[in-house]
Amino acid sequence: MNIKSRSSRLQVALIMFPGLVVFVFFTVYPIAKLFIMSFFQWDFGSMLRQKFIGFENYTTVFSDRIFRTSFVNTLVYTIVTVPGQMALGLFVALLLMNIQRLKITFRVANYIPVITSWVIASLIFRYLFNTEGILNYFFTSILYVTNHNIRWLDSRWSGLWVAMLLGIWKGVGWNMVVFLAALQQVPKDLYEAASLDGCNGVQRFFHVTIPCIRGTILFALIMLTIGGFNVFTSIKMITNGNPAHQTDTLLTWMYHKAFSTGKFGYSSALSFVMAGTLAILAILQFKVMRSHDAKAGLS
Amino acid sequence: MKSKIILKDERKTSIVSYILLTIFTIVAIMPMVYLISTSLRPNGALYEFPPRLFPKIENLTLENYRYIISESKFYVNFLNSIVAAVITVCVSAFISTGLAFVLGKFRFKGKKLLFGFIIMTMIIPGTTLIIPQFELAITLGTVNKLMGLIPFYIAWVIPFSTFMIKGFIENIPDDLMEASEIDGASVLTVFFRVVLPLSSPAIASVSIFNFLSTWEEYPWANTVINDNQKRTLPIAISGFFGQHQFTQWGYVFAMSVLTLIPVIVVFICFQKYFVSGLMSGSVKG
Repeated sequence: MNIKSRSSRLQVALIMFPGLVVFVFFTVYPIAKLFIMSFFQWDFGSMLRQKFIGFENYTTVFSDRIFRTSFVNTLVYTIVTVPGQMALGLFVALLLMNIQRLKITFRVANYIPVITSWVIASLIFRYLFNTEGILNYFFTSILYVTNHNIRWLDSRWSGLWVAMLLGIWKGVGWNMVVFLAALQQVPKDLYEAASLDGCNGVQRFFHVTIPCIRGTILFALIMLTIGGFNVFTSIKMITNGNPAHQTDTLLTWMYHKAFSTGKFGYSSALSFVMAGTLAILAILQFKVMRSHDAKAGLS
Repeated sequence: MKSKIILKDERKTSIVSYILLTIFTIVAIMPMVYLISTSLRPNGALYEFPPRLFPKIENLTLENYRYIISESKFYVNFLNSIVAAVITVCVSAFISTGLAFVLGKFRFKGKKLLFGFIIMTMIIPGTTLIIPQFELAITLGTVNKLMGLIPFYIAWVIPFSTFMIKGFIENIPDDLMEASEIDGASVLTVFFRVVLPLSSPAIASVSIFNFLSTWEEYPWANTVINDNQKRTLPIAISGFFGQHQFTQWGYVFAMSVLTLIPVIVVFICFQKYFVSGLMSGSVKG
């Protein structure tokens, strides 16, 4: 629509105004501030007089051993949980396409982990994987896999595995719904044509289903990668970075540095490194999918 | 003959599908069942040996619930959560629809840039902004107050809400709005009388997501709120944790169950909107 008179221009501005004000004040301003802080020495000791130190915070971040540990942890978490929950979610969606009855019941039940809050879900998992917990009992006294209780939460990779299992468990339902929506849009005659050409189920999946839901895969990939880098509450609740920051992720390490040691400048630089990495990843994913589309002549 | 084989095959696939779906469903809901069963056993018996998935019937107790409701500040925390979530949802629905309407239906300079910028902020995980936002809350004097939560929550949900609602509004035919404009309605009237009512399905599905994410928000509330009286539910639950040498799991889980009830109610009542919201987002993207 065109804006005709002066009064309607004023009204358009008025409608947009509240949203813009909140957005600028509580999101844009903090982003700018974060950027500025990352170039200053800004900590408990220098709250009142901050000193401009250029890229020093960034060099400190990159030379920090625990930053590298937490970066690797975050990457591993994302690389494991994102494809994991996408594959399982798509699988459940495909199963749902095969059945007639109880569709809604299965869908609702599998969506329950998604609506369970991170705090509560993390505490349940922590309880399940406790050294004296029911999972250890199951392994030692019923399956007899080991004869001693495993201390899941006391070492780097087993602690991270608990968090990753939680991430996958909680994400399958979301992927299920997203992929179910996409699968319902795939034209039926494509499948029939493929069958007539002698394609079996697996071939139909790779040559019909996957190309048809490419857009949804990209959407899920980008959303979940952002979510994977955002992992915070589960780590905080399950391992709290222990032992000795070995299970910290970027955000828990950033949070620790800022609010336990007061290194706000350092943490700001870390936040920017993280946001930058995410932006690059999102653009890369987008580009890769697009070039694939172009090759397949779909775009 | 051939069709019989196909039918048999289909039946086999559907039986296998039912079995696999049942396994997935068990994995999905088992932790919740365990949560509820643990909340119903005496606090001291939580690490009984051997551990049991279900408590013995004679051991069932509502003691944990009694404690949470009478001794803890549960109703205060509950009220704080409700107030924060409801205000966030209502205000953000209103102002995001405004933004979405203007960005979706009007032409003006810098529109693409503005929308692009709003979308870009979705990439930045909210928690990375926690330091400057905390400083802002200190400057505004809203630390330890619900007002320290609500505006930040609203700002936090605006990009996603605007993006979703804009997609919906763009599909409303211009004629509908132009017709009322010809009848002499002002832009404001069109917004309130035509746009807001027509986009209510999109607003509903966005609002449910906003309610859930506000209801369960942890990092920011944990940073801004210290005062017991101002805590929201997630902070109160995690507060039980590590408060004593041994975590009082019975209390933790009783409170968790009580916290999940509103979520389950919202989910069941608005199930339709959940799916439609996710669908429109994903198919578009």
